[in-house]
Amino acid sequence: MAQVLMKDLNKKYDEVHAVKDVNLHIRDKEFIVLVGPSGCGKSTTLRMVAGLEEITSGEIVIGDRVVNDLPPKDRDIAMVFQNYALYPHMTVYDNMAFGLKMRKFPRAEIEKRVREAAEILGIQDLLKRKPRQLSGGQRQRVAVGRAIVRHPQVFLFDEPLSNLDAKLRVQMRVELKRLHDRLETTAIYVTHDQVEAMTLGDRVVVMKDGWVQQVGEPLELYSRPANRFVAGFIGSPAMNFVDVAIAESNGALWAETPGLRIRVPGEQSERLRRYAGQRVTLGVRPEDLRVATTADPPEYAFDSVVEVVEPLGAEMLLDVRAGAHGMVVRVDPSVRVKVHEKVRLALDPARLHFFDLATEAAI
Amino acid sequence: MPASMRPGRRREVLVAHALLAPALLLVLGVLAYPVAWEAWISLTSFAARAERPAFVGLANYRAMLADPFFWRALATTVVYFAATTAAKLALGLAMALLLARPARGRALVFLAVFLPWAYPGGVTVVAWYWMLNPPLITSYSVPVGNLKHAVDGLLGGGAYAFASVMLFNIWRGASFTAVFLLAGLNAIPTELFEYARLEERSAWRRFRHVTVPLLRPFLALAVFLSFTGAFADLANVWMLTGGRIVFPVIGTYAYWLGVRSGDLAAAAAWSLSLVPLLALALVVLFRWFDPPREEPA
Repeated sequence: MAQVLMKDLNKKYDEVHAVKDVNLHIRDKEFIVLVGPSGCGKSTTLRMVAGLEEITSGEIVIGDRVVNDLPPKDRDIAMVFQNYALYPHMTVYDNMAFGLKMRKFPRAEIEKRVREAAEILGIQDLLKRKPRQLSGGQRQRVAVGRAIVRHPQVFLFDEPLSNLDAKLRVQMRVELKRLHDRLETTAIYVTHDQVEAMTLGDRVVVMKDGWVQQVGEPLELYSRPANRFVAGFIGSPAMNFVDVAIAESNGALWAETPGLRIRVPGEQSERLRRYAGQRVTLGVRPEDLRVATTADPPEYAFDSVVEVVEPLGAEMLLDVRAGAHGMVVRVDPSVRVKVHEKVRLALDPARLHFFDLATEAAI
Repeated sequence: MPASMRPGRRREVLVAHALLAPALLLVLGVLAYPVAWEAWISLTSFAARAERPAFVGLANYRAMLADPFFWRALATTVVYFAATTAAKLALGLAMALLLARPARGRALVFLAVFLPWAYPGGVTVVAWYWMLNPPLITSYSVPVGNLKHAVDGLLGGGAYAFASVMLFNIWRGASFTAVFLLAGLNAIPTELFEYARLEERSAWRRFRHVTVPLLRPFLALAVFLSFTGAFADLANVWMLTGGRIVFPVIGTYAYWLGVRSGDLAAAAAWSLSLVPLLALALVVLFRWFDPPREEPA
């Protein structure tokens, strides 16, 4: 049973400040995902928890022990690497037993744990094989099995699915989630894939340039992003951003730019009032745009020209241009539009996002 | 070529043969022919002074096996191989492991490690010869001379020369082994070592259970190269001992027989006596150190 605490965690290399003042409280049994573009510090953070990187400053607590000066072996963690890190000279069984052997577990206990883990993962028949005789998905399972047999306090996953093909990735994602439900072990999972983050994480930590941008439950990040970066990173296709001027007219606030004039909804106008006469970034997700009907109020509708149509089967993406602004719109595949056609779009006033132009923080 | 083959296909086959021909000629001319010729003359009385070499069957081999000098040379060769290989592997591996970690000034250390191998052998061997057998009377030559006499006095005449040959081989070979094993270490994904760090604190046990098995194919190749090097080592032994060979290795004695005495048939037999040993070593090494196969998945 272990929580993990990171307090003012920093990692500096000679020239690079890779992790900056990270503070996180990971609860017991929680599945937490660190997500961000490459170089954001997520892997470095994970490796500091593992003990593979030294901590420049700050503190990491696993369970109730400060582990800063503990060697990796004594931190009671088990890690799954992106490249699986299986030993080519050992059989699957020996690979899975390696950690226990090094810790001098009795042979019978090792055997019991390896069989147990193999059964959970459905790899009982592969135990005598060498890694090179396995497919990518099977190797992945062995790597996970190697972590399971240790019964650690915390699982650490470093992009474990990135080397799998798309189909297998989706399948293993579901399996990992099921596994976590079954084992109820605290897990820290690093990925650059926001879909993995959203589907796996009880909570998601979005990082960029070494800073934590936002910590929250997946839907919280989606519906209330703390800043423009999180808004653009979470969700696919990404949120549309348009720089607009905030203007006051007849007591109402309007977000204006050539080709677009949107009334700021009542609940947001309080916060936006002080931006009157200034420019802000308007964010609207592709799924919060739709083809307008006559019932749509004109203050939440605008004209656009379709430039690209991407029929994906279950949905259709339209790349449109409104004034000087390109946007992506997610519509029902039954919508009949052609390239170069004019289409009037409506947006959901309850789902507009505004960001400060300078700080990029959500308003 | 079957008659049913369509003309385009036939041309492709011809082109393939034509493209292979130069390589085939090279292998036959430079490798197969000399070896076959050597094997043939070892069965004759071929010699510098012989008018007409006659076929003598295995007489040269019988004479060689009956010669106590052969067994002494073989023993010397094996000792030379075993001692130098062990030392080269130990030193080379140690240097490779040290160089594998990123550190300040690593490039300079790497250069220093690589230099003994990169430097022309003929030049370094003279330097070593002068260092071990100073040609001028200086304050340096006195202790070295004393050392030489002490070693020879203790272990018999020629021991100092033999030791110096081994020293030179180790000095030069450890450099090569280090660079070779470093390349091997660099080819192993770092995660494999990191995973070991997560599971085991003792560096020695990590080395034994992870590093050595992962390096095994490279170690095998290093041993084999050292093996062939030692058995074929002629130039260095010759130059370091100035031909005054008290402890001959097979190679130098074969040279002595063939070039100095003109007994080419016996020399051929001596050189070929190593072939079964080398073949056996190759088989054993590749059995022990299962070479990595490409992943069929």
